Amino acid sequence: MPDMNSLAHPQQHQFNPYTENGGTILAIAGEDFTVIAGDTRQSEGYSIQTRYAPKVFRLTDKAVLAVNGFAADGNMFVKKVRQRLEWYRHAHAKDMPLRAIARLIQTMLYARRFFPFYVYNILGGIEEDGSGAVYSFDPVGSYEREACRAAGAAQSLVQPFLDNQIYFKNQTPAQDTSHPVHLPLHSVLALVIDSFTGATERHIEVGDGLEMYVVLARGNPALQSLQDLPGAEEVTGTQAEERVFVIRRDLKKD
Amino acid sequence: METSFAITGKGYVLVAADTTAARSIVKMKTDEDKIKILSPHLLMAYSGEPGDTIQFSEYVERNIRLYQIRNTLTLGPSAAASWIRRSLADSIRSRRPYAVNLLVGGYDTSSHTPELYWIDYLGTLTKIPFGAHGYGSYFALSLLDRYHDPEASLEEGIATLKRCLDEVAKRLVVSPGKYLVKVVDKDGVREIEI
Amino acid sequence: MSIMELNGGSVIAMVGKDCVAIASDLRLGNQALGLSSNFQRIFPVTDRIYVGLPGLGTDVHTLWEKFRFRVNMYTIKEEREIEPETFAHLVSSTLYEHRFGPYFIEPVIAGLAKTPSGGVKPFIAATDLIGCLNFAKDFVVAGTASSKLFGMAEGLWEPDLEPEDLFETISQALMNAVDRDAYSGWGCVVHVITKDKIVTRTLKGRMD
Repeated sequence: MPDMNSLAHPQQHQFNPYTENGGTILAIAGEDFTVIAGDTRQSEGYSIQTRYAPKVFRLTDKAVLAVNGFAADGNMFVKKVRQRLEWYRHAHAKDMPLRAIARLIQTMLYARRFFPFYVYNILGGIEEDGSGAVYSFDPVGSYEREACRAAGAAQSLVQPFLDNQIYFKNQTPAQDTSHPVHLPLHSVLALVIDSFTGATERHIEVGDGLEMYVVLARGNPALQSLQDLPGAEEVTGTQAEERVFVIRRDLKKD
Repeated sequence: METSFAITGKGYVLVAADTTAARSIVKMKTDEDKIKILSPHLLMAYSGEPGDTIQFSEYVERNIRLYQIRNTLTLGPSAAASWIRRSLADSIRSRRPYAVNLLVGGYDTSSHTPELYWIDYLGTLTKIPFGAHGYGSYFALSLLDRYHDPEASLEEGIATLKRCLDEVAKRLVVSPGKYLVKVVDKDGVREIEI
Repeated sequence: MSIMELNGGSVIAMVGKDCVAIASDLRLGNQALGLSSNFQRIFPVTDRIYVGLPGLGTDVHTLWEKFRFRVNMYTIKEEREIEPETFAHLVSSTLYEHRFGPYFIEPVIAGLAKTPSGGVKPFIAATDLIGCLNFAKDFVVAGTASSKLFGMAEGLWEPDLEPEDLFETISQALMNAVDRDAYSGWGCVVHVITKDKIVTRTLKGRMD
């Protein structure tokens, strides 16, 4: 017997075009390199959709983009950014500089101000002056250049840890010493791994796998050590002076 | 809108409360005393729901007097504040809670220190060097962060208090017109003109 | 407007080698407005047990008065001091008494338990606002900065820290966590409990 009361009233249906797919991304800039990392779990509610869905993408040989939030929007956004970068290459016969990509992303995000891409972006890479750089964005395009940034499900777990370990917040240097402005690559990679193992331990939406992209400026002395690192794969494009590597690690799957 | 302030200084607590009794948009009275003298060295500025404020402050006044008669001993500021807090904490989980916010200022005659307690209708209690209730707090607290001096003389304290009242008069849309100011120190409680 | 976030505040406790530490911030606010930078929410239960009570300001006092009364009654009746684990169950059952109209507090307990051989064993525990106990082996957190505290503690904590190292670890975990939380901060207090003494330090923090 159908419920007559409910039939008596008009039924309203609302389509929600967004969902949240969990995961966390993180980027840290060094003096002449940048590390951009993300976990590979993709979830919806309490269900894991896949244990391997990349959130970090190589755009050019000096720019890597990490996207987090609504995965469908994230993938579409990366596709559109790549298309714009290809047009730029055809027009100017060179790759777009990092700071220009950052501004491009702002315009593309703000163009959708009233139906936004539900995505937090972190752009990492090498500037024209050879320095490592991280740009972080909100979903409608506000952005700033920083030395490090975490975003996504475990942002609240990771960001204070980075404040402490990268910016040395609440730490006083010993007499006649000062904190380093930039950390070496091996320390940065260790911090990224610690951040993600910590986040995996305490956040259900983080885990499965970790992808760390490393962008090296030209003539970076860490090149050899990275080429020798087991499991590090070079993903540099054709005629590059900057070199891009990806390092994959397992995270807990529970 | 109802506003009350209190600041501590060298050996005294200054308490100020506006004197308007309003109902909706109408001022019913402009010379209401909203600072109760609880004992020779204890003051309490109250604000909140009109009926509740009178009922509760008189309840507190009489219970503190009762304790004094029974024990021939006056409650110190911290003990009185704790008792008042407990009354409000019990009240908030009762069928009809009192909606009363308080600033309890007193002079501890055993340790010779001025003490000030901030209490809200939930029973939240904290000891503070200066404080405020009502919309005035949004103006006065930042001002007092800059100008409050725990070692200030009474004259300097009054000057700082005046800054608060002037700031509220200048910036608050519905600012109260008149204030009543009382001070408690080693000599007891008295009203002062500002 | 969440009642648990009305007044702000956070507490963390950690286990070390034959020692425990418990720490909290000192802010009391009314939503975004800061009212006090000296609001103690950690209390001594016995010589070697401390309890931290983050949550609604009024219930911090009410619950602490209740715990103090019940611990005193226990001490008189049993003619001995309460053990940390017993106290944790006292906290749990006190909160569960109010299952359908709770106190808005998530207590954190830190203490040293006596062992039969005459030594001490570190003990920490935390409960939710209706008294569900969590006996962790490493660290427990609660309050408005809990997610940040989890991230910090997960990154900094390691087993068998000596008292001085435990102090540094818990302080850094707390300070950096509350600096990312709008409702916590305004200074911190840290207690390190060892077999023969308790060291209490008050830390200056950012005032924004």
